[in-house]
Amino acid sequence: MSVDLSNVRNIGISAHIDSGKTTLTERILFYTDRIHAIHDVRGKDGVGAKMDSMELERERGITIQSAATYCNWKGNNINIIDTPGHVDFTVEVERALRVLDGAVLILCSVGGVQSQSITVNRQMDRYNVPRISFINKCDRTGANPERVTGQLQEKLGLNAHMLQLPIGLENDLEGVVDLVAMKALYFDGDNGEIIREDVIPAELQDAADEKREELLDAVSMFSDELMEAMLEETEITEPMVKEAVRAGTLALEFSPVFIGSAYKNKAVQPLLDAVEYYLPCPTDVENIGLDLDKDEEEFAVSNNDEDPLIMLAFKLEDGRYGQLTYVRTYQGLLTKGDTVFNTRTGKKVKVGRLVRMHSDDMEDIDSCGPGDIVALFGVDCASGDTFTDGKITCSMSSMHIPEPVISLAIIPSDNKAQINMSKALNRFTKEDPTFKTFVDHETSETIISGMGELHLEVYVERMKREYGAEVEVGAPQVAYRETISARADFNYTHKKQTGGSGQFGRVSGYMEPLEEGEYEFEDKIVGGSIPREFISSCDKGFIKSMAKGTLCGSPVTGVRCVITDGSFHAVDSSDLAFALASAGAFREGYAKAKPAIMEPIMKVAVEGPSEFQGSVMGSINQRRGMIIGTTEEGTYTVVEAEVPLSEMFGYSTALRSLTQGKAEFTMEFASFRPVPKSVSEELVKKYQDEKKEK
Amino acid sequence: MAAANDYIRGITMGKEDLVSNNPLRALGLEKEDGNDGRRVGLVMARAGLGKTAILVQIAMDSMLRDNKVLHVAIGEGLEKTRTWYDDILGLMNQDQNVENFQQIVDSVMQNRMIMTFKENSFSAATLEERMEDLSQQGIFKADCLVVDGFDFTKEDSASALNELKGFMEKNDLKMIWFSAVSHREDDRVSANGVPAPCHEVDDAFDTVLLISPEDGDLRLKTLKCSAACSVDAGKSLILDPATMLIKKA
Repeated sequence: MSVDLSNVRNIGISAHIDSGKTTLTERILFYTDRIHAIHDVRGKDGVGAKMDSMELERERGITIQSAATYCNWKGNNINIIDTPGHVDFTVEVERALRVLDGAVLILCSVGGVQSQSITVNRQMDRYNVPRISFINKCDRTGANPERVTGQLQEKLGLNAHMLQLPIGLENDLEGVVDLVAMKALYFDGDNGEIIREDVIPAELQDAADEKREELLDAVSMFSDELMEAMLEETEITEPMVKEAVRAGTLALEFSPVFIGSAYKNKAVQPLLDAVEYYLPCPTDVENIGLDLDKDEEEFAVSNNDEDPLIMLAFKLEDGRYGQLTYVRTYQGLLTKGDTVFNTRTGKKVKVGRLVRMHSDDMEDIDSCGPGDIVALFGVDCASGDTFTDGKITCSMSSMHIPEPVISLAIIPSDNKAQINMSKALNRFTKEDPTFKTFVDHETSETIISGMGELHLEVYVERMKREYGAEVEVGAPQVAYRETISARADFNYTHKKQTGGSGQFGRVSGYMEPLEEGEYEFEDKIVGGSIPREFISSCDKGFIKSMAKGTLCGSPVTGVRCVITDGSFHAVDSSDLAFALASAGAFREGYAKAKPAIMEPIMKVAVEGPSEFQGSVMGSINQRRGMIIGTTEEGTYTVVEAEVPLSEMFGYSTALRSLTQGKAEFTMEFASFRPVPKSVSEELVKKYQDEKKEK
Repeated sequence: MAAANDYIRGITMGKEDLVSNNPLRALGLEKEDGNDGRRVGLVMARAGLGKTAILVQIAMDSMLRDNKVLHVAIGEGLEKTRTWYDDILGLMNQDQNVENFQQIVDSVMQNRMIMTFKENSFSAATLEERMEDLSQQGIFKADCLVVDGFDFTKEDSASALNELKGFMEKNDLKMIWFSAVSHREDDRVSANGVPAPCHEVDDAFDTVLLISPEDGDLRLKTLKCSAACSVDAGKSLILDPATMLIKKA
């Protein structure tokens, strides 16, 4: 049976950092009776906002992890994911958007559309998420919601129109004019909880009439009924306008704009009404699954609770009671105690406990159905895994996970810190696919890598605070690689006579560049010149040599080693002798194979006002960057370039000073490319000097 | 040092292979951006018939011959424009399987810059300002300009075209290529057979190519040809409809 999901809304709240998302969520929870007192993000009461459950988030006033919560507004169940605003945490935003049906884009009425709003908007486009905008902080000096609406049109290309007009601005913000119902709304009481409706103030009547006309013109194309009423000049009713706005919003062709100030408790309730009126319920959007039995054929999920279960795990957290897995159910019914199948691993798991999350509190529930966002306990899986009840083999489309771009060495201060650090790293890597860690065997240092300096900084802080792991942090490092650019022969004999039995092995063959992949080994020995039992030792000898190149000590990649001949001694040949002979052969061949150092190249996008385009391009040029191109959109320009990662350290500071803080950049890994000769020489010299020092 | 020389020699040879085997040679375009004069070209077709693919092949050919090309895309995204180059280079290599291909791509792409504009934010003056900025800072000095998506239906298009031709000389550009959309329902043509909306400005172009479907084939017809061009006006080449590459004779 198809369940009635018309009163379910799965929405995300995302925006540029410091636009007031968390404050807004706090107000929403208050007005929907989920919490009974309001605590501000940087509040003096020291409690912090409900959604910022990590101590660090409360202290810095930014949201790092997205928390999930739900509330009920006028009979509608609203699941809310609060998402981080900083670019380094975009994976959280992306994951949230993947499972949500609609979103609220929060903008600051002074800052307007900022770079992260553009990134978030792009992500929403990628996942076809219908969105409404809320221009927050209208109480701030310099607030100008009309200008911000213009930016939504120009910079984000949205067909954005205000559905409200402010009554007063900055310190004088009193309420809003609802352009659909054509009435004034005021928010009385200590926390703005009492909504008072009144007639539109006389001085705003003309402006309201004019703006309503503009609005009707913009949405009439989405409703024949409204269009007819406008042409025939008959009465235009509130439901008619609402229906047209909803149709345009769901078709991603219209984006309604609301205004207010969450901090001053103004106009949050009309935004909740808008979530109900204009954002889609789960059946309004088409979610596509891939049928693994039919060669990944696409199909639309049914939202029917009698169909086989399909759930997507979109977020993991390791909490006090084990792993907590956030899932979105697309169809079917899940009841506590049911067994589900992970379609990636084929493993069966029993769902012992099912909870609905409310930031870090939880409520036990017995079952969940289509459209629900809930959390499972004790289910071992990775983020992005699909669960079914075993009656269907399908996968929801995979999520886009960016590559880490920066690494840092971390050194624990003592033994206790070492143990705690391991625990912390184990948890963080499971929770966050963009955070990676490994041990550099040469320096014995633990290396962490992630999406940016703040990203890693936050994890280092969390290690200290949540696990008591005091660590020292090294300078950011670039991960160089070595490779070969030509084919070269080798013929190496390892011979050692040290009394007793000696060591003997000869390995002959060639190495050549490998187009794809890191390493390949091929045995072309005929006639048993190297006995079968020693072939794997030859392979091992090459692999060991690949771990560290001779130019700058970085790992070697892209090499194919082929052995064609060799010799052995009946007594003195051994696994060790052939492993050492292969290592010698690798050294010999590598020196002749025109080795080169490769560096990571980042795809960099700098967004800022067009007037700074020249300076931005100049700064990229100075950093050995290759400018791919520019995109000019009105007064705003995006410069895209490929720049070596080693040149990008400190770029945010340089960019801020170049552009008066008006431009921002994002970067992601593009490829490895050979370093220029001068850089190569420098790296080789540095490595040689370090070796001498040792 | 020897390794570096071998490397450079390898890339140069690879580029030469791609240039000499390019079916565009049949059009004699290498003479278009030669030093014997500045040339203005136009590729016309109905919507969706592959104007951008032809412009990109012309740009690529010029880049492979070490000219710096500025590709201006109006109303088209950077990523999409960039993908055209990647796809066409990939297809060219499929045919010829050149050694050191990736190194050639890396080297050739340094000869290209893409600028994209929204329809309403493009003007000849803005473009000139941006080009000067690039050139003055020593970032990119274009030899050739490719303008995809220029709106010839606008009232001021003739003056904008003249403006662009004007700064061709000022910026020492060897050639500019434009694309234009023709419409089935508009049957106006110039004496040279150049369809609307460019029929009244066909004097501005030295070479005009038209992509048109004929007898199940997609043909690249030469409607107008400069003296340097080796193909007579009226001759046509066949395009592979799957790849939009010019088929070899």
